Amino acid sequence: MSEVAQLQLIALSIVGFGILILLFIRATFVRVTGFVFIVLGLFSLMSLAVPQLASLPPAEEKIDIASIKTPTDIAAIGQTVFFSKGQCALCHSIGPSESARCPDLKGIGAKLSKDFLYESLTDPQAFVYQDYRHGGVPKEYPATMPRIDKDPIGLSKNEILAVIAFLQQMSGEPISVSLSDLEIPGPAPKAPVKAAESALVAEAHSR
Amino acid sequence: MSAIRQGIGTIQLALRAVSGHGGWLAGLLLTAVWLALPSIGVAAEGTATGPTEYRDIPYIGSRNLVWIVAQLHLLLAGFVLGVPIFAWLCEVIAWRGGEKRYDKLAKEFTKLLTSAYATTALFGGILLFLLVAFYPKLMNYLTDVFFPSFLLYCLLFLLETATLYLYWYGWDAMQYGKLKTLHVVLGFLLNFFALFIMIVPNAWATFQSSPVVISEGTAIERAWAATWNPTWWPINIHRLIANVVLGGYICGAYAGVRYLSVKNPEEREHYDWMGYVGNFIGVFGLLALPFAGYWLMREIYQYNQQMGITLMGGFLSWLFIIQAMLIGVLFLGSNYYFWLGITYRIPGSEGKYRRAMLMMLVSLLLCLAVWMTPHSLVASIEEAQKMGGAHHPLLGVLGVMSAKMTVSNLMILITFMSFVMYWRAGKQDTAGWAKLGKAVMGAVLVLASLAVIVLGVWGYFVPAIVRINYFSTSQVLIVIFVILTITPLTALLLKSAKTTTEMVWGSMPPRAGYALVLNAVMVILLMTLMGYARSSSRVHWHVYGVMRDSSPYAYSPALGSASLIMAFCTFFFCILVAFIFWVATMGDKTKAAAASGKGELPHGIPAMAGGAPEERQQG
Repeated sequence: MSEVAQLQLIALSIVGFGILILLFIRATFVRVTGFVFIVLGLFSLMSLAVPQLASLPPAEEKIDIASIKTPTDIAAIGQTVFFSKGQCALCHSIGPSESARCPDLKGIGAKLSKDFLYESLTDPQAFVYQDYRHGGVPKEYPATMPRIDKDPIGLSKNEILAVIAFLQQMSGEPISVSLSDLEIPGPAPKAPVKAAESALVAEAHSR
Repeated sequence: MSAIRQGIGTIQLALRAVSGHGGWLAGLLLTAVWLALPSIGVAAEGTATGPTEYRDIPYIGSRNLVWIVAQLHLLLAGFVLGVPIFAWLCEVIAWRGGEKRYDKLAKEFTKLLTSAYATTALFGGILLFLLVAFYPKLMNYLTDVFFPSFLLYCLLFLLETATLYLYWYGWDAMQYGKLKTLHVVLGFLLNFFALFIMIVPNAWATFQSSPVVISEGTAIERAWAATWNPTWWPINIHRLIANVVLGGYICGAYAGVRYLSVKNPEEREHYDWMGYVGNFIGVFGLLALPFAGYWLMREIYQYNQQMGITLMGGFLSWLFIIQAMLIGVLFLGSNYYFWLGITYRIPGSEGKYRRAMLMMLVSLLLCLAVWMTPHSLVASIEEAQKMGGAHHPLLGVLGVMSAKMTVSNLMILITFMSFVMYWRAGKQDTAGWAKLGKAVMGAVLVLASLAVIVLGVWGYFVPAIVRINYFSTSQVLIVIFVILTITPLTALLLKSAKTTTEMVWGSMPPRAGYALVLNAVMVILLMTLMGYARSSSRVHWHVYGVMRDSSPYAYSPALGSASLIMAFCTFFFCILVAFIFWVATMGDKTKAAAASGKGELPHGIPAMAGGAPEERQQG
């Protein structure tokens, strides 16, 4: 029996217990308690009937420079970062999507250079193609793209380069991110997050 | 997946531990906490290399324990902040309107406050100890940021306690003349301090979601910057209204339970009337609550779009379907109670309003169906291929915010009209301008409903930012306009109306009592659900973007397993409230038997729903 099924059984038992109380007990307070059991059990059953998704912390991608032999290896790491720690897929789609809130990234690697992509990811306000869905005169809406090298996303330079490599590969372009672009990590662990360095904090403070 | 399993496993263990003995849930939990406390530190991390960041306890898990205690503390806090608002409003109605029964009701609920405050403080103390024990690094950081506000909080508690003592113990002594005015002022001060007691810790909680940190300046300047964070005021307003709703519906549930158990006709009348007042105040707050919720979500999106998407489009998106179900049931329950009132309390009205009630029911169900339509459907690969994606070709259109905003506004309008219908039932207009007045009200309602629908449909064809900033806010303003227009017009119309049917209290069927209990449970569940959502929106951060959660509990459990904890919190809170009511009303039965008099019992006129005693005489 799966874990969800076990929990459903518990919720069903709560409902059943409530029904039994209503059927066989006369005392008002106990009957009301039975009624509450039924309501709470049904609530749990409903919650267990929807897709069960947990929000896990992003896996720390350990980029082992020595194990990377080709640009394709970098792109493979980028793909993982794109869908996990980078949270790119939260807003962007790959391919047309009516529900996408942000630009479709299909073919973006063919349209934009590596440096432009890097700047777009680390300084999104530097050049804003406003109201991406339509051409013509730019609209007044600012880009809401966060700086992904800052917290709460906080991608390292290597991770950003890996994402760019993935975008290029996905667009059928030759990957221009080379092994020499990657930084060799030092022995010291990453310093704890400092509030002052957080773009989010700085942004909030400036409001 | 191991994290999910760990979460589910923990719940199962906790549930097994509780249910296996078949004993008193609350006692078992407290015993478990007590037994587990000495083992704190078994799982302490980093004791040899540096200061402890986290501690854990076996079986229950530190996060689950903090979750339950924090949730109970918050619910109790909502109760003790909502009840004084409720009581004070009733006292003011009695003071200005001269109806003593409202004063009696206010006193009955103020009596709860002393024991309820103690219980709330008890859970607050337990929560503080647990947080300091389990999350020392986080608490150290928060203390560093908020230290001056801790002192202010202590001062507020002293002021609140002193005011409460004066308010409660001075009730009988300050009944007449200037002393009564002073008593009403004390009630205001009680709520004034209570408001600050709520908004100070709100700063600590909202800071974790939308932090503003400055490293320069004095301690007060740093604390003030952190306090005035982007979501602080939206949460303050949202919680203030929610507390009124909670207080109203709990009053209704209490009255419902008492109504079901009393045999004495006079008490039946009294608790029927109390249930009506509780439901009315609950609905009054409920109508405004979605607006505050919308403002909060808008601020969250503006603060950080990813957080907004995580909430409404990410892993929590299904939570909002559950939320829609709960709010929908709450709306249905509140309307149903009004309709039962029309049917059973106002003889002769059933036939007149049956058709309107049926139409309202159908409209509410349709709105609820749209509100509960998920954006992405649960479908197999084959089904998704046939549909051409996860979005159903027809239903997908109903699953987006534009549709949901529209139906939620319509549900508010319908509920408001249910109330107006109840208000007008059993009355005959005598004013010369009655026909014109009713035509204006009808036109306002129809045009407003059409405008809400048109804006909702139009919302599909404009960029999201236009819809969010202009269309949705316009819908909200239209509904507020309707409420602010029709309420005074109806009041004016009924001022000179003739009462054709006297209100009969105590004639409601038992299901009315259960409807009141259902409403209260829905509100409590909603609060627990949205507490989980707010906490989960921070994902793996203690303080979003500033202090990362590196404990084994740095994940948000799936909705199903979380719902069992929410259900447990709701049940335990209900038991606690029942206990508080039981303790507070222990000596009443003997007193009531000795001093039963009909002078203060309710008569034929409902609160806000049927004019003043003079009208009765006229009628």
